[in-house]
Amino acid sequence: MLGTGLLLYMLSKEIYVVNHETIAGASTLIVLIYAIRKFGPQVGAFADKLNEEKVAKAQEVKDTAINSLKQAIADENKEQWRVEGRNYLFDAKRSNVVMLLETNYRERLLHVYEEVKKRLDYQVNLQHVIFRREQEHMVNWVEKNVIQSLTAQQEKESIAKCIADLKVLSKATHASL
Amino acid sequence: MNENLFASFTTPMMMGVPIVVLIIIFPSILFPSPNRLINNRLATVQQWLIQLVSKYMLSIHNYKGQTWALMLMSLILFIGSTNLLGLLPHSFTPTTQLSMNLGMAIPLWAGTVVMGFRHKTKASLAHFLPQGTPLPLIPMLVIIETISLFIQPVALAVRLTANITAGHLLIHLIGGATLVLMNINPVTALITFIILILLTILELAVALIQAYVFTLLVSLYLHDNT
Repeated sequence: MLGTGLLLYMLSKEIYVVNHETIAGASTLIVLIYAIRKFGPQVGAFADKLNEEKVAKAQEVKDTAINSLKQAIADENKEQWRVEGRNYLFDAKRSNVVMLLETNYRERLLHVYEEVKKRLDYQVNLQHVIFRREQEHMVNWVEKNVIQSLTAQQEKESIAKCIADLKVLSKATHASL
Repeated sequence: MNENLFASFTTPMMMGVPIVVLIIIFPSILFPSPNRLINNRLATVQQWLIQLVSKYMLSIHNYKGQTWALMLMSLILFIGSTNLLGLLPHSFTPTTQLSMNLGMAIPLWAGTVVMGFRHKTKASLAHFLPQGTPLPLIPMLVIIETISLFIQPVALAVRLTANITAGHLLIHLIGGATLVLMNINPVTALITFIILILLTILELAVALIQAYVFTLLVSLYLHDNT
């Protein structure tokens, strides 16, 4: 309202003179308004896109940092859980080693026992052998002495007796058949 | 009308105070300095534009030439903005004054020449003689090349002044013609008005192009002498 009134007043009183500059201004105005209407939104959208890209880059940096830190926390937790599990591993390994040691000890014990038994068996066998030799020697000596003591006459007499006994026995057998 | 035609080219005074300095400083207000990551749209578009222009303009220079980046960028921004602002009615364009254009052209050109003589004396002197000239023509050619060298700043300044001044004069003349023809024959006035619109589009282009040409030539002189 005020603008229209002011403009008309200035024009009618020739305070604002209409000269060539007015026409020039009018043509400039027309060109400018046309350009702004046509390209204004595009330029605005472009400027917004540029800013959006900047913000997205900064955001991406922040997100990457946060994600990497979260990943680090998860890894740390996993490592802590692993450390707890490691105790069981150590216990298993320890018992394994103890078993191995014991097996070794038992084996060696067995070995010692066998060695000792072998030596004792040897001594026992040795005693047996000596005893048997002595026995045989004694028997041989007795036999030799007995045979030496047997004279020839007694030999003949025993043989004749054996024959007479045999005849009697054979007669007895014939009779029983 | 004669007085009015050239009245727009006199030094603007307001109540006897020369405010031409204010007018020269004024375009710097229109370029806000971006001091955040995300600025308003104006600053973002200007920042993108300046990056684009500087990338293309400085790609031909080596390291020494690229130290002139600030100078060249502020030059193209100043000339472009003052030329564009001059298209508004009742405005004063400082680049229409030969004094100012000479003041811009001569120091810049002299800077490139002196730099060339200081750092690459032999090559700068060798510029005076094009390759492969026959022996008897040499003295003549040296004189011609010297003249052509010394005419460079004058050409820079006069080119800019003449182009902008001629454009403004044409706009005023055709605007005046349209005004007069409106009372006599409105149809012709309409045609003249359409011509004026086309001329305005041309002047917009010329404003930008002149800035570009000025800066390009300075950078070319720099490239020769770096």
